Amino acid sequence: MGRYILKRILVSIPVVIGITIITFYLLNVVPGDPVVLMMKEHISPDVLERVKAEMNLNDPLYVRYMKFIWGALHGDLGRSYKLKRDVADLIVEAFPNTIILSFSAIIIAWGIGIPAGIISAVKQYSFIDNFFMGFTLLGVSMPIFWSAIIMQYIFGLKLNLLPISGFSGPEYIIMPAIVLGWSSAASIARLTRSSLLEVIRTDYIRTARAKGLMEKQVVFYHALKNSMLPVVTVMAIQVASLLSGAVITESVFGIPGIGRVCVNAIQNRDMPLLQGSVMFTVGLVIIGNLVADIAYSYLDPRIKYD
Amino acid sequence: MIELNRNKFPEQIDEEMELQGTTFIKEVWYRFKKNRMAMVGAVIVILMICIAFLASQIAPHDPYEVDLTNQFSPPNSKYLLGTDIYGRDVLSRIIYGTRISLVIGLIPTLISMAIGSVLGIISGYYGGKVDSIIMRLADMVMAFPSLLLAMVVMYTLGASLYNIFIALSIVGWAGTARVVRAQTLSIKEKEYVEAARAIGVKNWVIMLRHIFPNCMAPLLVMLTMGIPGAIMSEASLSFLGVGARPPTPSWGLMISNGKEYLFSAPWVAISPGFSILIIVLAFNFLGDGLRDALDPYMKQ
Amino acid sequence: MFVRNKWMVTLLVALLVVTLITGCGSKSASKTPESGEKILTIAAITDPGTGDVQLTTEEYLIPLNIYDRLVEAVTTEPGKSELVPGLAEKWEISPDGKVYTFYIRKGVKFHNGEELKADDVLYTFDRMLDPKTKALNTDFLDMIDGAKERMEGQADSTRGMKVIDDYTIEITLVEPFAPFIACLSTPAGSIYNRKATETAGLDFGVKPELTIGTGPFMLTDWTYNDQVILSANPDYFRGKPDIDKIVTKIIPDAETQRMMFEKGELDAFDCDNARSQIPYFLKSEKWKDHIVSGPRVGTYYYHINQAVKPFDDVRVRRAVQYALDRQLLLDTLYYGTGTIAKGIMAPGLAGYNPDLPGFPYNKEKAKTLLTEAGYPDGFQMQITQTVDSPSTLKLNEAVQAMLAEIGIKVEIVQMDEAAWFGTRREGKLPMYHTNWSADFNDPDNFIYTFFATKNSVARSFNYGNKHVQAELERARTMIVPEERYALYRELEETIVYEDAAWIPLFHLNHLFVVQPRVKNFKVSWNGWSNMPYYEVRIEE
Repeated sequence: MGRYILKRILVSIPVVIGITIITFYLLNVVPGDPVVLMMKEHISPDVLERVKAEMNLNDPLYVRYMKFIWGALHGDLGRSYKLKRDVADLIVEAFPNTIILSFSAIIIAWGIGIPAGIISAVKQYSFIDNFFMGFTLLGVSMPIFWSAIIMQYIFGLKLNLLPISGFSGPEYIIMPAIVLGWSSAASIARLTRSSLLEVIRTDYIRTARAKGLMEKQVVFYHALKNSMLPVVTVMAIQVASLLSGAVITESVFGIPGIGRVCVNAIQNRDMPLLQGSVMFTVGLVIIGNLVADIAYSYLDPRIKYD
Repeated sequence: MIELNRNKFPEQIDEEMELQGTTFIKEVWYRFKKNRMAMVGAVIVILMICIAFLASQIAPHDPYEVDLTNQFSPPNSKYLLGTDIYGRDVLSRIIYGTRISLVIGLIPTLISMAIGSVLGIISGYYGGKVDSIIMRLADMVMAFPSLLLAMVVMYTLGASLYNIFIALSIVGWAGTARVVRAQTLSIKEKEYVEAARAIGVKNWVIMLRHIFPNCMAPLLVMLTMGIPGAIMSEASLSFLGVGARPPTPSWGLMISNGKEYLFSAPWVAISPGFSILIIVLAFNFLGDGLRDALDPYMKQ
Repeated sequence: MFVRNKWMVTLLVALLVVTLITGCGSKSASKTPESGEKILTIAAITDPGTGDVQLTTEEYLIPLNIYDRLVEAVTTEPGKSELVPGLAEKWEISPDGKVYTFYIRKGVKFHNGEELKADDVLYTFDRMLDPKTKALNTDFLDMIDGAKERMEGQADSTRGMKVIDDYTIEITLVEPFAPFIACLSTPAGSIYNRKATETAGLDFGVKPELTIGTGPFMLTDWTYNDQVILSANPDYFRGKPDIDKIVTKIIPDAETQRMMFEKGELDAFDCDNARSQIPYFLKSEKWKDHIVSGPRVGTYYYHINQAVKPFDDVRVRRAVQYALDRQLLLDTLYYGTGTIAKGIMAPGLAGYNPDLPGFPYNKEKAKTLLTEAGYPDGFQMQITQTVDSPSTLKLNEAVQAMLAEIGIKVEIVQMDEAAWFGTRREGKLPMYHTNWSADFNDPDNFIYTFFATKNSVARSFNYGNKHVQAELERARTMIVPEERYALYRELEETIVYEDAAWIPLFHLNHLFVVQPRVKNFKVSWNGWSNMPYYEVRIEE
């Protein structure tokens, strides 16, 4: 197992480096630089050129990239161009907020998805199946910003139950978590449903049934136990898609998370900040996948990694 | 007490079975039509396709015609869904938007699936270095939150419909590649493939004649699921300001421009919102139905 | 194993329920301010990034409130301003207009307790010009003698600045520059403390406790992308402000801001962020008496790039000037909250010329001009804009339709901000719409900014009238105000009417809606969204 983890980590290194090279290259081939963006309407050609030179922005691309990598290897991600802050500080500040959001969203996604999946599996093709699958699908069928604004209007403004935006207490996380969680509940429900269906068809469930066990017992004691495996592990794999959704959720609900940091960094051509936050998010996704695989092999002894 | 209806489960079909055209379609259709929601989805999708083709005949007004003196007129007999800030007919824009949305759903999905299938088959069939390079590339794409990657691409290329195709294709191919690779790996070991190789059938022929057809079932499901995904991605990109170019009547653009008037002129944003809701739901139901129906063919 | 799974599900559901219940229960708890504190809560679309005004050319919320300047531009009435002594009690200008002597107010304390001395002023301005600072606001000080050498790294100090004694500083300019005092009143002229700023180093403007000024508020807390908190400075030299705290929430979504305002979570709503809401607020019984409106000393315009064909032809440019129905645009897109612009300068600006003829909507004339120019059937062109600006998009789409009527087919190209500003800086942006508001009250801030040789390329005008450009340089050094203003008027007329290099649109008012408890909320003379809040009061 230890060797397997080590191998996976080694394989991930080129992935992370590749991604930083791609983002670095892509955002540098188009016109525009961070300084012109800091000056905006107050553009003054002389000032612009002087500051760019002072910031070493006129160096060739590969030199700037190597400088970044060199710094990163020494644990220094540099300072954000636009925000003048230490990139590491910004990430450390924003990151927990995104984690809180994502985990609450996962809980919601499970809370909606698993029961819906179970019900629709045992009542396949019935009205209840359609109803629950329809409900979870509703979540993926609305753009996040759209469902967010409607929820803000109803629960925030009209019913006055929840704060509309911000991040200053546990109640602030409820609406964003529901919006984000609902949008990924469908995949959990589908997975639960299909793996439950699969298990129900297997021999030992038939045997259990043949033995005369009650249906409820069959479903809960035998089938569910075995079908939860892929569902549990899919959570880690979902990290990437949750982070995508978090970008929009964070900006609609004003949550100071890593998604907004990334978007701002892309918009501002703030390369140190972008590289830092991208490395971080990508690392997170990779770790998520790794954890999923390990959890899988731990939960299902049939799978062995070498 | 929860009761399981045993009879509804089709008997497992032998995995080794060669797919015979008519029986295959009959089997699938038999299972598919039992699923009411999937049927509803299919009907809606067909309807949408018809609307898209007949847009210019059905639309009561020119979707691009600006009349500033007639802005924000609420739904009435002349403008069934009202007008937007430029006095354009919302209904006509939605009808034309069906075209755009289907195109946005279909084209990037097809492109990314084509790329994904080719790379996936090559990767699975040859293995070794080719495999690890392709899979590392796929890892890169999968590890990058897709919206951010699409955003970076759109920023590089500029906002327009064609660039959305490119961005979504770049983001989408990796998932297909992985599934196809896994499928390829399992089929590669089958006797008939071994046999074909033994008698010296060319590699590309094997890939095309034996492996690719066996990937069709998951590909079909991924296509129906990819379309709503792409439509939603376009809406998200529009929200971030890098969607289609105005005045294109794309639903995503209509919502994100119209949400500002959600309270003063709700019809501007609500109807495209519902259109997206319906089309995405329809495709999802269709996809779920197909997945159930094709289930026996999707095992590796 | 099944036991574990079952428990897991139960646990999750329980957790969910608990979150929901506790969430709802504690909703009011965190909002309650500490006993009797007067808190003004406002919103900003983006995080200001830095509080160091030398490093930003537009994020002035923090600088306007935590620093003071030698001279202050105060709003006397909507759209009118006056220069009054700030940290300088008085100043003298030598007869040749080159030497300025400032007498610093005594007993002014920085937030760290240090007293303001002439050396702090010298330090602040020298820091701006020091290339290592990477300052972006040097344009407001680069007329000082020796500034050029300092900025280019050839000198370790600025030759033109001399400390006479603790409370007197003398600044010498290379040439006379009439708006110098006005320049010092801009946020860029904010005065720092030498000791505090040097100690803070790179963290100045970023870490609240290290960002020191003399202003009525102190930067006390800053969570990036969440909120910035400014607290009252009890020792402010003009007296402690009425409000105890300004909480600026960073809320990127304008609709969210509006809902929060409506619910009372925000004290002021900036209608610039959602113009579509203006009719609602104007009609609403609840809000119509709480709208604060002020003219903006600023102009909304379309730019023309003369290097892009066919706009090298003056007749084509003139045709576009006449092809826009400004009144219709103003009424339908801006709900009539403004006036039609006829030139470059805005009402309220020194030297403004109210007698320009303007461009009455005339489709026929526009068509004739196009035919004369050889484009009877029109042509294809692009209008560019940034991606996340819905209000610009609205205008562009409306103008797209208007130009279509005279046969010009417009394609609206949306670019992300960096690409847009980058292309513009290279002089290659085809046509765009934006607006400009005064930094300081002088025509130089308008006309020179757009049409001086270098600037006209950097803003993609590519304006080539050498005579006008030479006169613009000369106007800077003129001393007698009336003569200067007359010259600017003349130049404005040449640029707009003869050379048709500028398409004026409107001067829009800036509307805010405030909660009834907020008193004395005034729109700044120049109409900026960022304003000083020193005089705002809160009455429960």
